[in-house]
Amino acid sequence: MQFRDQISFVGQHIKKNKMRVFMTVLAATMGTAFLIVLASVGFGLHETIRGEVLSNRLVTQIEVFSSEMHEEKVAELKKRDHVKAVVFRQNIGTEQQSSIGNFTGNNPLIVTDFIEEEKANFELQEGRLPEKANEVIVGSNFAEYLMNQQDENKDGEFTTYDGKLIGEQFIYQVGDNEGELIEDEMMLTIVGIGKKPAKDWEQDQKIYADASIIPELEKIYYTHVDKPADDHSDAQQLFYGNVNVYADKLENVKAISTALKDDGYSVYSISDELDQLDVFFLALKAGLVFVGTIAILISSIGIFNTMTMAVTERTREIGVMKAIGADPKLIQRLFLMESAWIGIVGTVLAVVISYGVSIVSNYVLPIIVTAALGEEDFGDMTVTFSVIPWQLVVIASTISIGVAMISGWRPARKATKIDVINALRQEL
Amino acid sequence: MISVRNLNHSFKIGKKGKEKRVPVLKGLTFDVPEGEIVSIIGKSGSGKSTLLHIMAGFLTPESGEISVQGIQTSSFNEVESAKFRLDHFGFVFQNFQLMPGLTAFENVELPLTLKGISKSERQKKVKDLMQSVGLTDVQDHYPNELSGGQQQRVSIARALITDPPIIFADEPTGSLDSETEQDVLLLIQSLNKTRGITFVIITHDDEVAQTADRVYRMHDGILTEGGVQHAI
Ligand SMILES: Nc1ncnc2c1ncn2[C@@H]1O[C@H](COP(=O)(O)OP(=O)(O)OP(=O)(O)O)[C@@H](O)[C@H]1O
Ligand SMILES: [Mg+2]
Repeated sequence: MQFRDQISFVGQHIKKNKMRVFMTVLAATMGTAFLIVLASVGFGLHETIRGEVLSNRLVTQIEVFSSEMHEEKVAELKKRDHVKAVVFRQNIGTEQQSSIGNFTGNNPLIVTDFIEEEKANFELQEGRLPEKANEVIVGSNFAEYLMNQQDENKDGEFTTYDGKLIGEQFIYQVGDNEGELIEDEMMLTIVGIGKKPAKDWEQDQKIYADASIIPELEKIYYTHVDKPADDHSDAQQLFYGNVNVYADKLENVKAISTALKDDGYSVYSISDELDQLDVFFLALKAGLVFVGTIAILISSIGIFNTMTMAVTERTREIGVMKAIGADPKLIQRLFLMESAWIGIVGTVLAVVISYGVSIVSNYVLPIIVTAALGEEDFGDMTVTFSVIPWQLVVIASTISIGVAMISGWRPARKATKIDVINALRQEL
Repeated sequence: MISVRNLNHSFKIGKKGKEKRVPVLKGLTFDVPEGEIVSIIGKSGSGKSTLLHIMAGFLTPESGEISVQGIQTSSFNEVESAKFRLDHFGFVFQNFQLMPGLTAFENVELPLTLKGISKSERQKKVKDLMQSVGLTDVQDHYPNELSGGQQQRVSIARALITDPPIIFADEPTGSLDSETEQDVLLLIQSLNKTRGITFVIITHDDEVAQTADRVYRMHDGILTEGGVQHAI
């Protein structure tokens, strides 16, 4: 029998029992749609949380920890594949103080390489990069951390510096190893202001200086503190460095950070966090798919019943077909095709319905939740409740059509076992 | 054409544990020559249908051998037997056994569809045959819209459509009145003459048996040849 004839044969039988087949398809649709919508919540939450994680940070950043970091290592890191920039920032390990007039603050000074910083998206809001040893850039919140401890405003808080910054000079002092400020001062000139951090809650009060400042600062420090006997006792060192490696693309973060780990570095990147997150959500999604599969299994009872009835009703016809010379395998295939048809139509409808439910719930649920929680709680977080990726469609379709065919299997086997003589004896 | 050798069959009857074997066919040996109409006549319950079922491959005999056109058919499995039927046999039943969901035309078409013949070829063959057995007027009727005689014509057409060398008919006129019975018997005779098809007709009616070239009588599971007869 040609395939198209098989199709039209099955089609005729389905048409003859429209109502019964419709109800069975409906059950299959509901089961499959339930699975898809349920699992889509897992995918939606995963996407939401992932989006949060990615938006809070420079995603291509890899923090590298090493007991001793120096220029040679940094140069080696820069040569690695897919590394866009290596920012070697040196922090000061002791007390420090900046002051303009009566305003003082403990803003930390950082020595860095501005060329690499710019490659890693460091931008100025105003001014220019330092050109001399005593020129610095300050973070956008620098002034807010300079306070006048003799002057309170009406709320009882100290007033903060609100004068101009670019071109201003300020006094910068470091502390000794006991935390006492060293009296020798450095006069630093502000030549630029860094861009505001992307997130509202992030503050940048730091002072950025070029490496050319190091000799002067070390001179001040080591006239008061003994120089460390060997380079390993970092307790008395003035500077300690940390390195951030920036990958060119998020996809390459993982490769770079594994390579670094293999070379003995301690590394932290977003991919570590995402890995954990992905494992958690994989388990969640699997659980949801499992629960959804139970709904499909329940709907499969309907398919089993429908097909068993179809076989029983058509016993005589099957007997005639076998008498004429139809291959038992053909008869089995015709019934399997019928149950597969139910599964396929149910699945297609379920996919369409699920996308509809998903779109509507993504539109309606945030409105409801926002109303319930109040605007602020929800404000800047974009929550996706339901996402249906093609993988979910494939998984759900496979389960649904597979279960439909399995439940049609026994009735189809029963059809092939029908005894011709008994079937022909049946009355019309 | 068909040769049956020492065929035995018995049925198990009774409840489990207390089954009895009831012999139905006892060592039958006979031949159905090519191109003849052979009838098997016997009382109800004498085992005629059982014999036909075994010859057609619906039932595996207990012992004995059957060959059709020199091919040993008694050792076939279910699939081989089905394939052989599709290519070599046509069937006509007492209660017609048409597919209720198919029109007369589609019922006749069914064996060709099963054989995997293309739609256009099927349409042409069925149309020609419907014309030659006088069914063109009712070709779009469903079986429940046809008279008994028309239904039996459709079922004969269905048996003929694959051009089988042999057609088995179990009480082909059993459900028909005597006038329609004559029509059907004449159709069988003319098909036998014009197409050379071998018929095996089972009946309990002497009049029907008279139309055959050869008559076998079935009695108590034993078959005796009733001689070659010639109808007028
Ligand atoms: N499946 C079966 N199980 C047990 N006994 C059976 C079975 N089929 C037939 N028989 C018995 O075999 C015998 C022959 O039956 P069969 O149908 O061949 O008779 P028949 O000659 O065709 O009769 P009729 O003219 O009434 O159709 C009967 O006695 C019947 O009871
Ligand atoms: Mg009988």
